[in-house]
Amino acid sequence: MSRIVFENVTKTFNRAGNRAGGDFVAIGGVSIDIAEKQFVAVIGPSGCGKTTLLRMAAGLEAPSSGRVTVAGRPVAGPGPDRAVVFQQFALFPWKTVRENIAFGLKCRGESAAARERAVQRYLTLMGLEGTADSYPHQLSGGMQQRVAIARSYAIDPAVLLMDEPFGALDAQTRTMMQEELVRLARTSPRTVLFITHSVDEAVYLADRVVVMGRNPGRVVAVVDIDAVRQREGWAARSIDDVMELPSFTHLRSGLWRMLREQLGGRSE
Amino acid sequence: MAAALTGGRKAAPSELALWSLAGAVVFLGSWQLVTASGLVSPRQLPGPLAVLGAAWTMTLQPYAGSTLQTHLFYSLQRYGFGFGLAVLVGVPLGLVMGRFRLVDDIVAPVFESLRFVAPLAWVPFAALWFGTGIGGPVMVIFTGALPPCVINAYRGAKLVEPRLIEAAQTLGASEFRIIREVLLPGALPSIVAGLRVSAGLGWQSLIGAELIVAAAGIGYAMTQAQLTIAPSIVIACMLAIGVIGYLIDIALRGAERAVRRRWGQA
Amino acid sequence: MLHRRIPAISRRFAVGTLTLLALLGLWYILTTLTGAVGPGRFPSPAQFGAAFTQIAIQGYGGAPLLVQALHSLKLVVMGFAVAVAIGVPLGLAMGWSTRFEAFANPIFLVLRPIPPLAWIPLAIVWLGLGDTAKILVIFFAAFVPAVINTWTGVRNIDPTLVAAARVHGASSRHLFTDVVLPGAMPMIFTGLRLSLQASWTTLVAAELVGAFFGLGRVLNLAYQDIYPAMIAVAMMAVGILGAATTRLLAELETRMTPWRQP
Repeated sequence: MSRIVFENVTKTFNRAGNRAGGDFVAIGGVSIDIAEKQFVAVIGPSGCGKTTLLRMAAGLEAPSSGRVTVAGRPVAGPGPDRAVVFQQFALFPWKTVRENIAFGLKCRGESAAARERAVQRYLTLMGLEGTADSYPHQLSGGMQQRVAIARSYAIDPAVLLMDEPFGALDAQTRTMMQEELVRLARTSPRTVLFITHSVDEAVYLADRVVVMGRNPGRVVAVVDIDAVRQREGWAARSIDDVMELPSFTHLRSGLWRMLREQLGGRSE
Repeated sequence: MAAALTGGRKAAPSELALWSLAGAVVFLGSWQLVTASGLVSPRQLPGPLAVLGAAWTMTLQPYAGSTLQTHLFYSLQRYGFGFGLAVLVGVPLGLVMGRFRLVDDIVAPVFESLRFVAPLAWVPFAALWFGTGIGGPVMVIFTGALPPCVINAYRGAKLVEPRLIEAAQTLGASEFRIIREVLLPGALPSIVAGLRVSAGLGWQSLIGAELIVAAAGIGYAMTQAQLTIAPSIVIACMLAIGVIGYLIDIALRGAERAVRRRWGQA
Repeated sequence: MLHRRIPAISRRFAVGTLTLLALLGLWYILTTLTGAVGPGRFPSPAQFGAAFTQIAIQGYGGAPLLVQALHSLKLVVMGFAVAVAIGVPLGLAMGWSTRFEAFANPIFLVLRPIPPLAWIPLAIVWLGLGDTAKILVIFFAAFVPAVINTWTGVRNIDPTLVAAARVHGASSRHLFTDVVLPGAMPMIFTGLRLSLQASWTTLVAAELVGAFFGLGRVLNLAYQDIYPAMIAVAMMAVGILGAATTRLLAELETRMTPWRQP
């Protein structure tokens, strides 16, 4: 119902007046299958096309060739079944926290009472009590991102697309948000595509990690995390404990090595 | 900030006030001197006191048909209609043009070609079609006040962070909702700035229209004073026009500030 | 959004041309074919063409179109040039020194709200219906936007840039030439654009009120003669000249501010 499939997707950008001539191939043939309710993290060097992939799943961009399907249907445009959490939050600055969270529900035509119920629920869930009538600029970065996540969750999307959502936050807040996301993913699981630069974050959060390379953007490796997580019982421990486990560090350094190989690749 | 520029001591507000006072004194003083000394005949340039006297008299006794206040009232009435119409038509048009490339492509060439025709150039047609009724000046004001409304709404819509529009789309918003709840508030600072310019241009166009085709109103009074060579009344009317224009601008500047505060960009 | 493959520029051109053609067609239909809009209200394309030929070759109001247009253009350029020559330095001074700004403020407080067109009757009382009166009015019209936008341009310069310059040991003079002047250039040109627009508006108005030559005079005569076709021709001429001068200004701006993104 919410399976995301990238079928041999490519993305080419025309570069007018480019001295090297020709177009820029951002993504050259990527195929990924994200099963229902699976949490997949994508890591890779800058320019590998991971954000473009996410935007194609969101319907904000179209592939040059190949196909992206969600729940079996090709993606034709953006919609509330695939909620997006942006790195820069993208909260409406002229709406209060309450109005931001309720926006998707309002679009759907929910009654004021239903909207308020949902708002209260997510305020509590995300630890945002008391901020309902504040404006985004009055909140810290971490709280703003929580509002953004609440806004996406409020419409109960089948798919959650997150583009480096914690990238703009400081280290401490980021750790807290990661724990919160794990908790949320456990209590109301859904298909998640999660872009990040941080290997730690990817290993901690995801069921599978896709490693991408650039020039052109392509899948280099797919590493299964969930088996290790279940076996070692990460869910029962705090994030700090998990990050010290040998199984964690083993996975992390393996991925790091792969990533470094990609980073060492020559840029154009 | 200016202190950082000159690198000198930052001037205290009291010192600045003194400079302003000096400027006012120099201005008014030299004006009065020039007329009193006889360099220029009072028939050409009356002194500041004569102008004030003429203005005061005009509030008590009708000139060219009405008192000063009544003239201003007629003018403001036409202005209100013309400006209001320009806002109601221009702002939505600008937003829609900013949102839909196709609309932009269709309307822009027409808009650009008409825009350069000075609003005053419409006066002959306005006079032909509406005579000296209210339609003529309203049309001229509309023509003058429309461009900034459209342009600023358009620019404001274009400047709205694309991520915000994308966020609205991914949350399931219809186009109408996107324009109403994302573009309009997002463009509001630009729109209000445009309203300020539009209000000013509209007020100017009104004066122009009244100079040529009116039977009452402050511009008409000025034309009559010009024809009878009564410069003190001309200048008095100019100052009245200036004062009203200034008050309109203050009101809109307050609106601009209120919008900024609400949007958190104070 | 899913992008279309058609390059943006040619699509815009095509749609624009189509729209203009459609409007021309509508004009023809409304006036000539159906007579829905009578000749007393708006000219048909044929009448427009006839009026244009008349003024272009024989002349109207005492001279052919080119002479009338150049007359108006000359006055605009002169008034505009003087206003800019005085206004921009004044604006720079006001932006640079708060003391000077405080001194000049009272005069501006009085001058600024007065619409430039309001100067016309006074200019006529002082200087009659000739060219000098027109140039004076254009000067007043163009002066205020030039000053205010220049002043704003200076004030809006990012203080961080100023700090960076000072930290590198820039003298006041270097600060002015290398940071303030280029930094204020975009706003200065905004002011110039507004000044140019105001200049044309004011000229047309001034010539409408009373003049011996010029496009505004043509407009006035055509109105008195109840000759809508000529009114339209004059309006078009005003529009073209206005667009051309604005385009020139934009070109100048591009050259003088090469760092700007289009």
